[in-house]
Amino acid sequence: MIIIEKDCINKTDEQLVSLTLKEQEYYLCLIKRFENNLLNYIMKISSANLQDAEDILQEVFIKAYQNLNDFDFNYKFSNWIFRITHNVTISHYRKKNISSRAISWEENDMDNILQATLNIEQKNIQNLSYENILKIIERLPLKYKEVLILKFIEDKDYKAISDILHKPTGTIATLLNRAKKMLTRELNKEGIEL
Amino acid sequence: MKNISEEVFKKIKEKNIKPRPNWYFVMKNYFIWMLFVISIILGSLAFSMILFMIKQLDWDIYRYLGESFLKTFFISLPYLWVLFLLLFVGVAYYNFLHTKRGYRFRFISIFLISLTLSALFGTGLYYNDFSENIENVFFEKIPYYSKMVYTCEKQWMQPRKGLLAGIIKEIELSKNSIKLMDLNDQHWQIDTSKTIWRGKLQPLNGLQIKLIGKMVDNTHFQALEVRPWQGKGKFINKE
Repeated sequence: MIIIEKDCINKTDEQLVSLTLKEQEYYLCLIKRFENNLLNYIMKISSANLQDAEDILQEVFIKAYQNLNDFDFNYKFSNWIFRITHNVTISHYRKKNISSRAISWEENDMDNILQATLNIEQKNIQNLSYENILKIIERLPLKYKEVLILKFIEDKDYKAISDILHKPTGTIATLLNRAKKMLTRELNKEGIEL
Repeated sequence: MKNISEEVFKKIKEKNIKPRPNWYFVMKNYFIWMLFVISIILGSLAFSMILFMIKQLDWDIYRYLGESFLKTFFISLPYLWVLFLLLFVGVAYYNFLHTKRGYRFRFISIFLISLTLSALFGTGLYYNDFSENIENVFFEKIPYYSKMVYTCEKQWMQPRKGLLAGIIKEIELSKNSIKLMDLNDQHWQIDTSKTIWRGKLQPLNGLQIKLIGKMVDNTHFQALEVRPWQGKGKFINKE
């Protein structure tokens, strides 16, 4: 059976999971739906280059497929697949399987983080050196970088971040607060006045 | 940039990768919950033993020993079982954290839930004499167990400090004295001329008692107070 993309358009992620469990071809729709988002996420949290990130992403999709029966339909599929992506990426990150580092941030991403975390105006952001800011964000500990990315780039709410990182929502709030403080401190240290 | 979707899909087909069956995850989930329950049961056992050991000790005798309550308290704590309780509560925490929704709870919540469950079931076990039976088994079967715990017997077998326990072997009313065999089967002549017999206690042959007083020499003891032996377990079973 060949699934045409239009078969998937009006279906929710969760409906596609149900269909995939009956008909493998539907998994292609799920992969296509998430590949770009997840690839960006991998590159941002791990600073992996494109090739490494793609290898990680392949592993993510295969792992997700093998564990599809473990998906709980009370949850959102997007959070579940982000969780797997997080785990696989961290596992590579720890094993240092990520060979080279690459800058994967777009100016727009940084604007989002800076505006949301530091409450500064768009016009002020324009005057900042993106290169310097990027170095600072990249330098942040993974736990802080991750919550900033999920909240302000992936636009996830606290509950979703809690489901992805497997931490209580209270801890997520604390991490975000600390991440903002650390980012402000580091920017000030580098002489970037806000 | 690779066409990831096509590549992944091709790999899944070529390697004939299939989703793991549902029962695998159901079993995995049950297994984690089972380990949690086992940890709570073992934690309850440890809690019941702590309760048993604390309840069998006399906490007012620090006054007679000339020690502070805190010192007596820290000497008498059943550290071995406290350690086991913490260990099993820790294992329960770890397993709960790995259940499907475990991560949503804070460390302190899970820790307190596990501790409360262990305390509740442990109290139940204690009042059903389970801890007493376990203690007897441990004393008999586990080498060095008696050396690792501070028992009622240890607390009362300190004649040099004025504490003694044993069984009345002979009553000599005319001499105001009794013959006592202590917990180490050593015989003592007890002077009871200035003794207060606590409660409704009457000197009787075969009665198990605890004495507070003063050691005169290696076989003579001046008793100032006699209490009934209310401690359970090993000593009672010995008779």
